[in-house]
Amino acid sequence: MDEYAIGVLTNIGLISFLGLSAYVVLICGELSFGQQAFFGVGAYAAGIATAMFAWPLPLAAVLAMAGGALAAALVAWPALRLRGLYFAMATLAAAEMFRIGFELLHWQVELAGEIVGPDGTQGFRGIRWIFERGVEPLGFLVLVWVMLAAAAASIAWMDRSRLGATLRAVGQDPELARSLGVDVERLKLAGVAASGALAALGGALFAHHNTYIEPRNFDLMLGVHSLAYPLIGGLGTVFGPLLGAALDIGVLEGSRFLQGYRMLVFGGLVAVLLIFRPRGLLDENLVHRLKGR
Amino acid sequence: MKLLLISVLLAPLTVLAQTRADMQCKPAGKDLIYDCVIRLARGDQPLEGAQVTVGADMPSMPMAHNVKPVKARPGSGPGEYLARLDLEMPGEWAVKVRISGKVRDQVVLHRHFDERGARPVRRK
Amino acid sequence: MTDFLQNSVDGLAAGASYSLLALGFTLVFGVLRRANLSYGPAIMLGAYAATWASLHFHAGLFVLFPVMLAASVLAGAYVERLAFAPHRAGSAITAMVASFALWMQFEELATLVLPGHLYAFPPLHEGGPLAVGSLTIRVEALVMIGVAVAACGALWGLLYRTRFGAAVRAVIDNPVAAGLSGISVPAISIRIFALASAIGAVAGFLIVAAQEQVTPMLGMWSTLKGLLAMMLGGLGSLPGAVAGGLALGLLEAHSQWYLGPQLRDFLAYFLLFVLLAARAPWMNTRSAS
Repeated sequence: MDEYAIGVLTNIGLISFLGLSAYVVLICGELSFGQQAFFGVGAYAAGIATAMFAWPLPLAAVLAMAGGALAAALVAWPALRLRGLYFAMATLAAAEMFRIGFELLHWQVELAGEIVGPDGTQGFRGIRWIFERGVEPLGFLVLVWVMLAAAAASIAWMDRSRLGATLRAVGQDPELARSLGVDVERLKLAGVAASGALAALGGALFAHHNTYIEPRNFDLMLGVHSLAYPLIGGLGTVFGPLLGAALDIGVLEGSRFLQGYRMLVFGGLVAVLLIFRPRGLLDENLVHRLKGR
Repeated sequence: MKLLLISVLLAPLTVLAQTRADMQCKPAGKDLIYDCVIRLARGDQPLEGAQVTVGADMPSMPMAHNVKPVKARPGSGPGEYLARLDLEMPGEWAVKVRISGKVRDQVVLHRHFDERGARPVRRK
Repeated sequence: MTDFLQNSVDGLAAGASYSLLALGFTLVFGVLRRANLSYGPAIMLGAYAATWASLHFHAGLFVLFPVMLAASVLAGAYVERLAFAPHRAGSAITAMVASFALWMQFEELATLVLPGHLYAFPPLHEGGPLAVGSLTIRVEALVMIGVAVAACGALWGLLYRTRFGAAVRAVIDNPVAAGLSGISVPAISIRIFALASAIGAVAGFLIVAAQEQVTPMLGMWSTLKGLLAMMLGGLGSLPGAVAGGLALGLLEAHSQWYLGPQLRDFLAYFLLFVLLAARAPWMNTRSAS
């Protein structure tokens, strides 16, 4: 595989973490405009851990996931009783607060004659763990996809379990679920926290792939993209968000010959696709039929 | 095997010298195509004989909006590499210089591209 | 004290345009119960059309304004046809994501028309500020407030003096009752989008002429400010949209003066988050929308 193909596949894998995390929130029946913030928390936390404190990446990734879960819980907890656009706006407001927080974060140390650490809007350079460790691009690609597969598998497993059925019930009719004795708020809090951990893991890997992050990487644009992936790919299965991300990046990469018109074509394609398949390519009906066979 | 893997992953890091990069670009005559000279150094030594690929990302959505990376060829001076960048729009790009071969590293440079060339970006 | 008054005038001027942005958002949301993410990008596209006209024909503001209005309205109608009309019976999220896809189209279209990062826009007012006692008042601020009041007046006339307006208000107040009395949302939907885009275009025009510049960021910026002002004032209420816009403008002007631009934005989002979490009574947060 050439380096370009590896790069594209790595990008698809990285952004799929965000699609998956948005999918988890959607299963809980809510809409989040804020997953990009948890991706950012993960990127900053892991970057700080490896570049400033010489932590190994696996440990830094665990820290990032804990940070992402905590951040998501902190956002979701006050907003738990909100629904629909109200919940979405609360997550958007919180995510923008996080982004501005990254802009205000100046924390640099000197290591071996180099100054490293987040420098506000100037960004955070030199997150070079995978280069110092000599991890090859192919090796990193495998790492990203193994982690992604593990994440997708655990969501799929949860989806089939009693917990998943309860979650979907909460998502579809919270009042009914409540009357059946389900602690709707607690379950939603857990779901959003899990989505935060997932996004943060993606962010941690992204920071190390890129070696450089800045607050603008984590703006609303990224959040809405991640929300679009499950809807394009389909809400029926955990593969939906992965398909959505692959389509987005894949079509963009594959249509380089359309230089300058790519988004014009892609945006139109998505709008038309949603007319014919409003719940995405792999929607519940299709998944049901495939499973029935 | 597992133990070996874990010990490699968890071993404390010795901090190595970073690669420094500098880049000058001028328009190649055609729209949004730039000829860039990149100078690489490690410590105070110019970095010779490395394989260098150069790509570019938009600061917002770096995973989706990027330019297909190109291979740089060695230039005339010590540690110099030449690359031709074909950007999709003017404005700010994060130019990603990826180094492989004897040394593996990656340096990200921020430049503002317009009809005159590329200038470094300093933000408030 | 002088600072406070001056900031308040600037805040009201910005707030007046935020109010207009929020009104446009509220019209669409009130009638369709769907958020249109392409609302700001349609305004941005209009601003780009006007900037193009300004660069090529050196047209004055009185020519640029109708150009911007027409382009924004056209873009708004396009969004309605492609992202909202097909999903009337379907899910609100799908319509929202479709409107986001069109946002991508608008951004690329704008950079195809004018590829630069930043373009100058003719100023709203040339010449210095007015001195009123110890205050110096920017003429732009007065023009912004005046135009916004006039636009609100025109909208009020349209909504309270015409049959179309009565139908729109009926749907906003109670969609079920409106449906029972024979008012059909599909029939007014495209006009609502055109109207919302027109109001947004007035706001966007005031903003770019006061700032004297246009960038592609105007799209996301307008959507965010419109959403923020609409939510602060209470989702789906027309007077609330005006109040939310003015409150946001004043809050930003004062916090910028005392705390700087980053904390200004932080504070606005913080306020929205706290009000939502506290379920401020005027926000109707109990309704599951």
